[in-house]
Amino acid sequence: MFRAGSRHPHDTGPATEALRLVKVTKTYGTDENAVTALDGVTLTLGRGTFTAVMGPSGSGKSTLLQCAAGLDVPDSGIVRVDGTELTGGGEAELTRFRRGRIGFVFQQYNLLDTLTVAQNTVLPLRLAGRRVDRERAREVLVSVGLGDRLGHRPDQLSGGQRQRVAIARALVTEPRVIFADEPTGALDTRSARDVLGLLRRAVRVHGRTVVMVTHDPVAASYADSVLFLADGRLAGRMDTPSADAVAERLAHLGDDTMAGV
Amino acid sequence: MFVLAMRSIRQRPGRFLATLLSAFLGAAIIMTFNSMHDTAARSGVDPVSAQTLTTAAGVVGGYGTLLVFFAVASTLTVNVRQRAAELELLRCSGATPAQIGRMVVGEAVAVALVGASLAVGPAMLGGQVLLGVFQDSGQVARSVDHSFGALALVSGAGITLLAAAGAAFLAVRRAGRGSRRRGGARTFLAGAALLAGALGTLSTFAFSATDAALMAAPAYGAILLSVGFALLSPRLLKGVLERLPLSGGSGWLAVRNLRHRADGLAGILVSLILFTAVATATLYMQAVESDAVEASGLTRSVDAKNLETLNFTVVGIIVVFVCVMLVNTLYAATTYRSREFGQQRLAGATPGQVLGTVGAEGLILTVTGLAFGTLAALAGIIPFTLVRTDSVLPGQGLGIWLAVVSVAAAATLGTSLLTARRVLRTPAVGAVAVAA
Repeated sequence: MFRAGSRHPHDTGPATEALRLVKVTKTYGTDENAVTALDGVTLTLGRGTFTAVMGPSGSGKSTLLQCAAGLDVPDSGIVRVDGTELTGGGEAELTRFRRGRIGFVFQQYNLLDTLTVAQNTVLPLRLAGRRVDRERAREVLVSVGLGDRLGHRPDQLSGGQRQRVAIARALVTEPRVIFADEPTGALDTRSARDVLGLLRRAVRVHGRTVVMVTHDPVAASYADSVLFLADGRLAGRMDTPSADAVAERLAHLGDDTMAGV
Repeated sequence: MFVLAMRSIRQRPGRFLATLLSAFLGAAIIMTFNSMHDTAARSGVDPVSAQTLTTAAGVVGGYGTLLVFFAVASTLTVNVRQRAAELELLRCSGATPAQIGRMVVGEAVAVALVGASLAVGPAMLGGQVLLGVFQDSGQVARSVDHSFGALALVSGAGITLLAAAGAAFLAVRRAGRGSRRRGGARTFLAGAALLAGALGTLSTFAFSATDAALMAAPAYGAILLSVGFALLSPRLLKGVLERLPLSGGSGWLAVRNLRHRADGLAGILVSLILFTAVATATLYMQAVESDAVEASGLTRSVDAKNLETLNFTVVGIIVVFVCVMLVNTLYAATTYRSREFGQQRLAGATPGQVLGTVGAEGLILTVTGLAFGTLAALAGIIPFTLVRTDSVLPGQGLGIWLAVVSVAAAATLGTSLLTARRVLRTPAVGAVAVAA
């Protein structure tokens, strides 16, 4: 199903690009009701980078994330994660593609209420039929500051703690790319800072690649660079962003839509 | 509030389908059997025929009333739980609890009224067929004509409406109060039911092989035992789960899900246990009884034939009702889990693995329910067979049991898996977002 290179998905091969999108287009609805959510987006993100994707509501941020993460299939264009091309297939096929390559952090955490913190963390490993290393899972949970919460259930935790469990779950499979969809959208400022710090550490210390969709200029300022999206097209890029500069750019995004990056 | 109730039924007829079906079936059964009262009351009916007809009407009518109440209550509880968000919205828009209660009771009564009216025609036909059955077996004289009169109509409609109103009232009250733990009372009742059941089955030995009432003691004993098990079902389920070393993604998840939801799944187990126990015990005892009479070379009395007809009718009614309850409860419970399934898929589960988890859960539930139901049934069957035939187990083989088991397994697993497959058609991201 996937045109994979000769490399094993888990070795540290020569590919320096973690994510590559070429002319990705996605349209929802049919005929006169059609909405073009992505209009020929091309971008490349290097390995070990932390990128924020910003834009007003309806700019196609979430669609971009879903297409890039293999949650949805674009109408046309190429998506490459860690050098392997994503090519359609059913949901089971997409799921197998995501396993081991991609980790997720969502605004609503999406932890299973029936499982404890430790069980939630190792769930992706169990589902993928991989060996469950409890010690390693514990280490990851300790590293996100939840070493004393292993046996708790999600409903016994605060929002910030739940999001840290979600990050631990995303880290434990050692994915190439972690996609975060508004990870701080439901958190207070202090918890948000902790979560963003953890994401940044995943990049700096563990060499992961993080792509984060966000509304919040402060959250975006934790990233190495910010991509701006408007009307389904890339509308600019900012390296080493500051919260003020991002807010300024965001406010004038509609004024002059730039093509390409 | 009544206008609102009517509007909500018109907008969402599908939601009331299960309630309508239970009300319709219940009213049809009650009317069919109570029309035997009407028939027996006609002038010129001989005493033996009248006796047969009123016994049938009395026994099945009583059972039917209970079943209608349970079935309507179960479907309405599910209905109210599914609409938690809608009711909360009404509460926020200024509806008092009494107004919401009136709305839900109004809806239930309206649906029950429709169900009862629909049931009149089938009940008239059913009454004629039933009378024909009694006449063919010689229990009722040929000269007796069927009559569908006031008693059938009033009792059928009345009982259905009352059951619906009462069940709706209880469902709303329970939903408003939230879940309250009554572990102590439940354990006490379960213990009492188990004790009474054990005494009932043991008292079988006090009868002689040819006593007419021989079947009553073990039958009620088995039913009481199954009620006891049913009351203890959350604990039984937890006990089973402690001893299940399931590995592999789906099985592992299934055991953990069930452990967490054991209390909520009690309803499904109750239906399964009662169904298995009542159906297995009644059918085997009847088979043993019929064979024993045949072996002795005696012709069967009218009473014995009545008993056989009644036994089969009661089992048939219970099968239908329990199936409706089981399917409805499982359908609602599985639909409700759309978000949870979405989360599993986002955590890396393929649709096949989600179905595998649902299937494993269904299998554990079915096996647990069947095991305890069979246990209760055996507790009644063995004493009966010992007294009636001097052998320990019935000579009928596993056929009946296998039939009962396959109906239960097909209803449980079929509903869970088909519903889950439908739920999985929503993309994972959408399923997670809808309820968020």
